[in-house]
Amino acid sequence: MTLLTTRPGEIGLLAADAIRSALIKATDQANISTYIEGASPLAWKSISDAGWDLVGIKEDDESATLRDLVEIAKAWGEITVQVPLIPSIMAKRHSATAAEHDGPVSFSIQTQSLAAGHGLVPFGQISDLQFLTELDGETGSLTSVDGLVLDDFAPSLLAAQASQITSFSADAAREISVVWAAEGSGVAKRAVADAVAYAKQRKQFGKPIGSFQAVKHHLANAHMNVEQAETAAIWGSLDPANAHRSAVHSLNLSIRAIELSIQVHGGMGFTWEMGLHFYLRHTIALREMVTALGTHA
Amino acid sequence: MFTIEDRDAREVFTDAARVWLQENVPARWKENRGSLSEHESDEIRHEWDRQLHRGGFAGLSLPKEFGGQGLSMVEEVIFHDLAAREQAPDGMARIGRILTAPSLIGHGTKEQLARFLPKILSGDEVWCQGFSEPNAGSDLAGVSTSAIKVAGGYLVSGRKTWTSFAKAAQRCLLLAETDPSAPRHKNLTMFLLDMKQPGVTLSPIKQASGLSHFAEVQFEDVFVADEDRVSEEGTGWQVAMTTLMNERGSVEATSRYVEVRADMDLLLSTLGGRPELQKQLNELDIRVELVHWQVSKAIEIEIDSSDYFRATSIMKVLWSELWQAICTFGLENMTPETSDHWRLQYLETRAASIYSGSNEIQRNIISERVLGLPR
Repeated sequence: MTLLTTRPGEIGLLAADAIRSALIKATDQANISTYIEGASPLAWKSISDAGWDLVGIKEDDESATLRDLVEIAKAWGEITVQVPLIPSIMAKRHSATAAEHDGPVSFSIQTQSLAAGHGLVPFGQISDLQFLTELDGETGSLTSVDGLVLDDFAPSLLAAQASQITSFSADAAREISVVWAAEGSGVAKRAVADAVAYAKQRKQFGKPIGSFQAVKHHLANAHMNVEQAETAAIWGSLDPANAHRSAVHSLNLSIRAIELSIQVHGGMGFTWEMGLHFYLRHTIALREMVTALGTHA
Repeated sequence: MFTIEDRDAREVFTDAARVWLQENVPARWKENRGSLSEHESDEIRHEWDRQLHRGGFAGLSLPKEFGGQGLSMVEEVIFHDLAAREQAPDGMARIGRILTAPSLIGHGTKEQLARFLPKILSGDEVWCQGFSEPNAGSDLAGVSTSAIKVAGGYLVSGRKTWTSFAKAAQRCLLLAETDPSAPRHKNLTMFLLDMKQPGVTLSPIKQASGLSHFAEVQFEDVFVADEDRVSEEGTGWQVAMTTLMNERGSVEATSRYVEVRADMDLLLSTLGGRPELQKQLNELDIRVELVHWQVSKAIEIEIDSSDYFRATSIMKVLWSELWQAICTFGLENMTPETSDHWRLQYLETRAASIYSGSNEIQRNIISERVLGLPR
């Protein structure tokens, strides 16, 4: 076993902290259901003013590594907002055309829920969003979503269908997979934290439900799933040959952690207003796209 | 964070350890392990402890002032990984090194350190652990082996169980009740008991697999002197906690990773050609590598903070349940060449989710100490 340092660099740590604080401030730690179907609590402008969409651009030795981006995506996932930061970071990292563009950039992925020739564009519902025809360095151009067909399965992703599919380089597909896995582990971390908080205050039989071993062990399992989901994303960022399969595995673990968080919430867990389903929908949509990226990676 | 110098020093260490292991692991052990008699096998394991000491690889992460090498957990983990790969013997000094030594460094007197540490590190004195009892397993604080005060020391009576190395051990790190009237967690004391005296009776425990790794030990009025008591009376629980924290989850997980990896490789080499099993094999293979990455992450947590529980309990649950899953899969899909192996491993690994703190206890630790859920 070669022991590698699994830690991110300074850029990753600093950017993750800054993004996390900005998100906490913007959402005031409100339940996701209070904002996810309306206006975003965080404007794209504040993201581009801070230059976060450019954090992945490779310039020199000091540039963010994939491991750094994992840290950033994880923090981003912990407070889910409907803003196209992660696709923009990855588009601008892998395409000069995207990097020169001021606004948000995304891509179109042919997932298993779509007919041949159609792609899913995360954040394609945003009016000024552009997506790339090719994501492989120098070539490719920007285009917008034609004849808007919404895909509202995951409201936090504001996805739309496009009749054009992005062609990905293997590197881009691999890195996007890993970063989305990391984002998913952040989403799951948040869901489990919510479930732990709920189990501490919700009482039945005169005691907090979190004092019952059956509930504790669900949460211990959920916590282990989140830990492993994060580990799998880190593994993917440091071991390109195994990146795609570790990313899919990571998302499976995150989804399982969110399912357990729903179970711990009891009857509230399956209501729309408690909002846990938004986390579940988000990570399932990420898995669908990452699975599809496997044909490019 | 690791510096470049750390990394270079680590590479030097890794190379030196690899070369030393290649030159020193006894061929007789490597090649004929299965056919050695218990006596031959014990002899090789005993000698292995002395070899480690002569080679400068005993007590890697113990401080230099106590005869250790003054290195970190990273070197411990690197060494255990390489040793497992080279099929090095498991020495008999393990309990002394990983349990007694840290307990004495944390709570022992100068005299105790001087008397016991050199012999632990040189492999001359084998230790066993006297914690679990027939009626105190997961509830370790329920220990009822008694130590009654007499002139110059104590008389110990009771039964300890799941004791590894009992037959070879000169000494036992023993947790006993000194004050039955004191409240829970304040009634226990830790002793350094001499095993080679009248009143100590061993009975091997035959396990479900047919193998015997442990013994039950009966104590009848066995004397232990005042100077062989660790710290004050009533501090035994505290000392035991230091000891258990030092069970070093990442070192254990590393050795287990290598064993689990070997079983996974056997699955892949014998079943890899069957397309209908690919999905499950891939999933198990990913989980094996995740244990490795989890260890890498955990060591950094252990170095950075005292957040042991987060790391240790998770790793224990992960490797034990994965190992069971692999052996169950092997049993279900065994071939004539592998059937003996999987039958034995399947039964052996039933124990993995029970020993070293049952997985239920690990999940309690995760939920209570990491997630902060109410008791």
